[in-house]
Amino acid sequence: MTRIISDDERTALNAFVDGELEAREMAVWASRIAGDRALAAARDEIEATREVVAALERPAVSSDFLARIEAMAAPASATAAKPARRWTEGWQNIAAAVVITALVASSATYYLSSPRGTSFEALVADAHRRSLLAASPVDVLSSDRHTVKPYLDAHLGLSPPAPDLATQGYPLVGGRVEVIGQQPVPTLVYRHNEHTISVVARPGTTAAAAPKPLASGGYNMVEWSGDGFAFTAVSDLEPDELRSFVADYVTATRSP
Amino acid sequence: MVRAPSGGRTDRPQIRQAVDQDRAAELFHQIVVPHLADGLALARWLAGNASDAEDIVQDACMRALRGLDGYRGGSARAWMLTIVRNTAFSWLARQRSSALVMVGDLADIDEATSANAPGGAELQPTPESELIRQADQRTVTAAIAALSLPTREVLVLRDINGCSYKEIAEVLNLPIGTVMSRLARGRQQLAAAVKRAEQ
Repeated sequence: MTRIISDDERTALNAFVDGELEAREMAVWASRIAGDRALAAARDEIEATREVVAALERPAVSSDFLARIEAMAAPASATAAKPARRWTEGWQNIAAAVVITALVASSATYYLSSPRGTSFEALVADAHRRSLLAASPVDVLSSDRHTVKPYLDAHLGLSPPAPDLATQGYPLVGGRVEVIGQQPVPTLVYRHNEHTISVVARPGTTAAAAPKPLASGGYNMVEWSGDGFAFTAVSDLEPDELRSFVADYVTATRSP
Repeated sequence: MVRAPSGGRTDRPQIRQAVDQDRAAELFHQIVVPHLADGLALARWLAGNASDAEDIVQDACMRALRGLDGYRGGSARAWMLTIVRNTAFSWLARQRSSALVMVGDLADIDEATSANAPGGAELQPTPESELIRQADQRTVTAAIAALSLPTREVLVLRDINGCSYKEIAEVLNLPIGTVMSRLARGRQQLAAAVKRAEQ
C-alpha cells in the first residue's frame, strides 16, 4: 500500500512540476500521478517547496546601485572629456548625472523614461526580441493562470489579468518579469501556432483606452488600457491576427 | 564584433574608440542590465547576505562589460549568471568567507532526515505540503543556506532565478541529468528541513 518514491520517480516528478518534460511525458506522468496517492503526495510536496522558495523576498535593485552599474557603460559622449580616467575615479559624478537624468525623465512622462531617449515601443520590441533569444521566453512556464499570477504577485506584488485563451487559439504559455525603461513590469506570454505574443502590462493607468495598432523594431503591436494597466501586445503576428488576439483578451478580462 | 581588430589602426583612433564604446554601452544595456535583479538574487545566495551581493554583481558587471565580445548569443541571462557565479566564487575565496565552508557538514544531516521523510508522507499526504506552505521566510532562508553549495545553486537558479533546466546546465556547465537529480535532491532536503523546523 505505502511505498517509497524512487530517485528516478522523484526526478521525473520535479521535471513534471517544472513543466520540463516533453509534452507526451507530461501527459504520461499526469495520469500516473492521478492513479497513485504516493506520487500525488510527493508532487504536492515538491509544489509546496517550490512555492515557498519562489515567495522569498528578493534583493531589490536599488536606484543607487542601478546608477552605479549604468555609469560603467556610459556612452563615449559622456566620458569623452576625461578619457584617461578610470571609472572608479569618476563614477560618482556620472552616477549623479544619471540619477538626475532619470528623475527628470520619469517626472516628464513614462514614455521618455529611458535614459537613452529610446521610445517605449522600441524598448518593448527589444524586450520581446531578447525573450525570443533566451532559452525560454518565460520565467514561469505554465498554462495555468493560477500559477502565473502568484508568480508575478510574488516577484512584483501585482499581476495583470491572465485569462487562458486556449479555446480561442491562444494558449497561455507563462509569465515573466520584464525590465523596461528601468522599471520591472509583469509580462504575460501567449502562443498562437508558432508565434509568441508578449503582453506587457504597466500598472498605474486609470483611464481606459481602446486598442490602437502600432509597429516598432520589426514587430507589430497593439496598445490599450483598462483594469488599472496600460497593455502593450507585441508579436511577429500579422496586424489583423494580433488585433483579434487583443479583442479576445479584452473580452475575456471584461466578463465577470 | 564589438572591438576593433587589434591591427586596425585608423587616423582617428579616438573616434573608433567612441563608436566602440557606444556599441558596448548598447550591448551592455541589452544583455547585462536586464539581469541585475537575477544576478543579485544568485549572488545573495552564494555569498550568504545581500550587502556582499551588490559588491559581487558590480564586480561581475565590470567583467561582463570587458567581456561583451565573448557573448555568443543564446540566453543572456545564463551568460550573465555564469559571470556572477564565477565572480562570487573568486570573491568568496578572497574573503575566506565561512559561508562557503560551513555547508558541507549540514548536508549529511539533511540526507539522514530526508531518508525518513517518504515513510511519514504516506500517512498524511496533504498536511505535509500544508506544513511546508506555512513556513515563514526565516525558516526557508535558513534551510536553503544549510544546503550543500552544489545543491543550493541549482535550487536557487531554478526556484529563485526561474532559469530553465537548459539555462542551469549552461551556467553550471553540467549535463541536464545532473541538474535534474541535484534539483530533486535539493527540494527534498529543503522540504525535510522545513518540516523539521515546523514540527
